[in-house]
Amino acid sequence: MALDGRDPVQIDDALRPALFDWLCRLGDNALILGHRTSEWCGHGPALEEDIALANTALDLIGHCQMWLGLAAEVEGQGRTADQLAYLRDAMAFRNVKLVELPNGDIGQTIMREFLFDAFHFELLTALSTSPNTRVAEIAAKALKEVAYQLDRASDLVVRLGDGTEESHARMQAALDHLWPYTGEMFTADAVDTAMTEAGIAPDLSDLHTRWTATVKDILDEATLTLPERRFDVHTGGKQGRHTEHLGYLLAEMQFLQRAYPGAEW
Amino acid sequence: MYAQMIKSESSNDDPQALAEFQARIDRGERIEPKEWMPEGYRKTLIRQIGQHAHSEIVGQLPEGNWITRAPTLERKQILLAKVQDEAGHGLYLYSACETLGVTRDELFEKLHSGAMKYSSIFNYPTLTWADMGAIGWLVDGAAIMNQVPLQRTSYGPYARAMVRICKEESFHQRQGYSIMMKMAQGTPAQKEMAQDALNRFWYPSLMMFGPSDAESVHSTQNMAWKIKINTNDELRQRFVNETVPQAEYLGLTVPDEHLRWNDDKQGYDFSEPDWDEFFEVLKGNGPCNEERLGARRKAWDDGQWFREGLSAYADKQAARRTAAE
Amino acid sequence: MVTASTDQIWEWLAEVPDPEIPVVSVTELGIIRDVRWDDDTLRVAVTPTYSGCPATAVIDMMVEDKLREKGIEKLALERRLSPPWTTDWITDSARDKLRAYGIAPPVNGTASDGRMSRAARLAGSNLTIECPRCGSTHTDKVSQFGSTPCKAAYVCRDCLEPFDYFKCH
Ligand SMILES: [Fe+2]
Ligand SMILES: [Fe+2]
Ligand SMILES: [Fe+2]
Ligand SMILES: [Zn+2]
Repeated sequence: MALDGRDPVQIDDALRPALFDWLCRLGDNALILGHRTSEWCGHGPALEEDIALANTALDLIGHCQMWLGLAAEVEGQGRTADQLAYLRDAMAFRNVKLVELPNGDIGQTIMREFLFDAFHFELLTALSTSPNTRVAEIAAKALKEVAYQLDRASDLVVRLGDGTEESHARMQAALDHLWPYTGEMFTADAVDTAMTEAGIAPDLSDLHTRWTATVKDILDEATLTLPERRFDVHTGGKQGRHTEHLGYLLAEMQFLQRAYPGAEW
Repeated sequence: MYAQMIKSESSNDDPQALAEFQARIDRGERIEPKEWMPEGYRKTLIRQIGQHAHSEIVGQLPEGNWITRAPTLERKQILLAKVQDEAGHGLYLYSACETLGVTRDELFEKLHSGAMKYSSIFNYPTLTWADMGAIGWLVDGAAIMNQVPLQRTSYGPYARAMVRICKEESFHQRQGYSIMMKMAQGTPAQKEMAQDALNRFWYPSLMMFGPSDAESVHSTQNMAWKIKINTNDELRQRFVNETVPQAEYLGLTVPDEHLRWNDDKQGYDFSEPDWDEFFEVLKGNGPCNEERLGARRKAWDDGQWFREGLSAYADKQAARRTAAE
Repeated sequence: MVTASTDQIWEWLAEVPDPEIPVVSVTELGIIRDVRWDDDTLRVAVTPTYSGCPATAVIDMMVEDKLREKGIEKLALERRLSPPWTTDWITDSARDKLRAYGIAPPVNGTASDGRMSRAARLAGSNLTIECPRCGSTHTDKVSQFGSTPCKAAYVCRDCLEPFDYFKCH
């Protein structure tokens, strides 16, 4: 497939490194969450879930390809989406810590998906009208899938939260565990601010307001309680300071590319 | 072939009704869910379609084993989509089974207790990435060989499920072959992996058709009912005839020193697989039986709270709806 | 060198089947977005159905094979993301073919919007899907996804047929 030909940067060239970094965040979030989701393949709690989880992972890997593909173009060093995915080490990954945490039980997996999707949905909605047309069209494409992922995850959170005593307790425990990782999605650093100021990306505090409304609404319907503790305890993933878990994930994901350098598959 | 050695159930139905039923099948009519059918026909179909469905589900595991290690993003997508397809096939087939008056949960129960089987092939391990190629090429290839004739099977929902499934299986086979091609044309290490995968999967693939059943009474009855269309030997021969030239095209060697073209029968002569090994695998002594069944049981047990939660919620919603009316 | 009219090219492309649901063609699905000559190069814009659709590369290959077979020498395929593909673009002829193949065609305007409400959850699904076999509307959803991302699994309560529903996207 021929490259697009249109200018991927569309802004002041000095912003190229920040734009590259920011696109890696989008791509890496999709890649790492897609990887975690794909670990469920064949091990889901019901056949419908096996299928839906494989499908969610598939969508996310598709989004990752688009974002990392654009990131590689912006970088302009001749790297490809595959090289970014398979040949960077943990400190070069830009995903939030929330998505790299181990799956836990299916309740925790679904709660994580919900908390992330609710953010992802707002982010992509805003990006789909970004003046950077390359960003806008990827966002608009991905948004359609993320909309049904969010609907599905919200629905499951409600049903399990308001299900049996056990399912309620498990969903509450999942929420309590994940909560301190959610703040990172909304904690702006120099890269986020540069993108917001350049008009490419939305203000993260606006996203936070909308995310909180959705999350409160769904948790309320699910009869779950919003944790009181700080939500931004665990940050740093976006700057390449990850949890211990990411290294193992990459060791597995990158194994073939590392063991057989330069081979084609 | 995902359904191996299906024993036919005998029927104690009225001989007149049986004869009329057989006449319908002989005329090439389709039997539909709400129509009368002999008890033996119904039970045999449940066994066959159920075993086929179980194979699709257990079949997610050997390939699922490589999803997180797929070497490129595109290969990862293709493999994920394939495993999703297999789970979807399971869903079609369980649904087809349910039209015969058995529930999916009952079928799961029988899988988990060992009362029902799944194809022997999925008890072999996937050791390298080349196995993803070998499975698509050989295992999906053998499945297609069996399932294409089943598009003409006498039971309507099964036949129609087969039509849709076969299209997707050929897509899988093509993708598997493309993995093999890349490896066979790749570095010496990749080529070695490809050859090794063929060596390990060749005979287990031949076993997928089951031992010779030309003399079997079950086979005769099932063929009369058009639940089975060809003998195991016929299908195996077709598979070998089709696959050997593909292996040659890849530059790989089929691990059979007796393999040669026989002009008289217009087909290859080839060595039989080790049937003792086959029966051992069926008995539970294959390399991965415990892991595969263990993984499915664990998924089911771990998922119990999840399924109970969903059904409790559904009950509450139904009560709320009634209250609102 | 072949310089066929774009109408002719569209007709050729109508011969390329979707690899997973071969009863419909890529043009009927609406995934060929544009065909145009740029000097002596033929440019064909293809849009993916779903972001993660692994058939995309296969479709590109089939489109290329078809056009080469018809004698097109200079060919450039473009990936077009915008506007994103929607099932609304599936033609009426394709909808009939899907039904005949046993797949209920999409009901337009029912795609997820990420905003499913409490009231909608209480009301349950108000989507009526016709059984492609007997035409009954007495059908139930079995699974949100089928073997391919585009489909959901349904069952007919009248004729008992399990069937796929091509979801609105
Ligand atoms: Fe299958
Ligand atoms: Fe398959
Ligand atoms: Fe598929
Ligand atoms: Zn019907």
